[in-house]
Amino acid sequence: MNRSLGRFLNGLCRGAASIVLLGAAVSCNLLEGSPYDARVTGETDVNTRNIARIEHALSGKTSFRFAFISDTQRWYDETEAFVNHLNGRDDVDFVLHGGDVSDFGVTEEFLWQRDILGELRVPYVVLLGNHDVLGNGVRVYRRVFGEENFSFMAGDVKFICLNTNALEFDYSDPIPDFNFIKTQLNDENPIYRRTIYAMHVAPGDEQFNNNVADIFHYYVRSSRGILCALYGHGHAFVEADKFGDGILYYETPCIGKRFYLMFTVNEEGYTYEPVYF
Amino acid sequence: MSRFIFKCLTVWLTALWLLVPAYGETPGENPEYDCRVERYRSGWNCLVPRYVKLQTGGLMGSVSVGTGWNYGRDHWETDLILGVIPKYSDDHARLSFTLKQNYYPWKVQLGQSPFSVEPLSCSFFVNMIMDRDYWVSQFDKYPNGYYWFSTRVRLNMGLGQRWTLRIPEPRRKFHRSISFYYEFSTCDMYVTSAVTNRYLSFWDILRLSLGIKFQIL
Repeated sequence: MNRSLGRFLNGLCRGAASIVLLGAAVSCNLLEGSPYDARVTGETDVNTRNIARIEHALSGKTSFRFAFISDTQRWYDETEAFVNHLNGRDDVDFVLHGGDVSDFGVTEEFLWQRDILGELRVPYVVLLGNHDVLGNGVRVYRRVFGEENFSFMAGDVKFICLNTNALEFDYSDPIPDFNFIKTQLNDENPIYRRTIYAMHVAPGDEQFNNNVADIFHYYVRSSRGILCALYGHGHAFVEADKFGDGILYYETPCIGKRFYLMFTVNEEGYTYEPVYF
Repeated sequence: MSRFIFKCLTVWLTALWLLVPAYGETPGENPEYDCRVERYRSGWNCLVPRYVKLQTGGLMGSVSVGTGWNYGRDHWETDLILGVIPKYSDDHARLSFTLKQNYYPWKVQLGQSPFSVEPLSCSFFVNMIMDRDYWVSQFDKYPNGYYWFSTRVRLNMGLGQRWTLRIPEPRRKFHRSISFYYEFSTCDMYVTSAVTNRYLSFWDILRLSLGIKFQIL
């Protein structure tokens, strides 16, 4: 009797242990069905939450400092080194990421990068890069980070962050989305005095819808107190007056170069410096 | 592609129409003819799948059904697996198709019991997502060499183990044996990511599949 009870209990314990193990396997994504399974675990809607932090911290200010990085795809070690480096500074208000957190559009890449960047002490926002669109990447991006066109206020400066990866969307979606830009420019918020544009791909690149490059820049130029435009994609540092009217476009290199741009915005305008880490 | 499938089907059906009337006839007076027909039949019989597999995970679909053939003294196995990738954060669920080659170097019979163990299974498999958003080689819209990898085709490798219960003949209904197996696998994209980064550990890129195999033939 005791022996059979013992066996039964033993079996029961083993069964329970297997169920716990199986549960653990499912919850940590061990039983993954595909690298493109779009199964997002952990934090979602990162941009919305971080924008609220930025807007709250910089409310009423006219000077602030932000780090502009981009193209961190498959450079996990370098991204982690950047995070450690930036956490060692206390003069930065936020980090702007120009897109391409993923290389293949694989779900796990978004989560790995989110987890690394999530260690930053300051808030960060991530734009949509062309690699982030591959496969079902754009749907994962939306879930993890948020909408691909978004804006936020840093003090009196509006950051207009745009999806400019027209080639990825077969020109079937309005990219860049002029309706979105117009809505932003018509913002009657009295705090809004100056504008910075951020995008992954700049006008002139084969990924951009160059048929409307001039019109796009017309909107940029006519934006309230335009300061500059920022982009990534090229993996190199470039400062260019692309349309010959004094409005500068800055390309920040990929994180693999261990190099980023630090922008300081103040009452007079802005300055920037390249930082190696 | 669909035209190619259509052509193949047409050829196959025509061949069947020409050859199948022989099926069902009683052995006649022409032994050469009977021999040929028998060869023809046993040739097709080889193509009858020998087992069914049900499994979860392992980068072959969250839930998947497979069939295939075992051969070479049961050391070798070729699976065709159809898997479902649920919707999750995507806007639709997708199917994936896997062609899988397994090798079992050893089979250990546990005494007189109906149990046997294959302590090691090695596999290589090619997995394809059946969805138009994924490419084998980049779409024509991109400049040459814009993306070097395929988003549709994954190359995977795995190692695992298997336990088999042989059903005694009088108690058989439909299956000869039932096996339980697990396998740890990974894919090309995960390996590519991990080899260049210390941040990713061995465990970050490892995936598990659990399955049951019903041996019919």
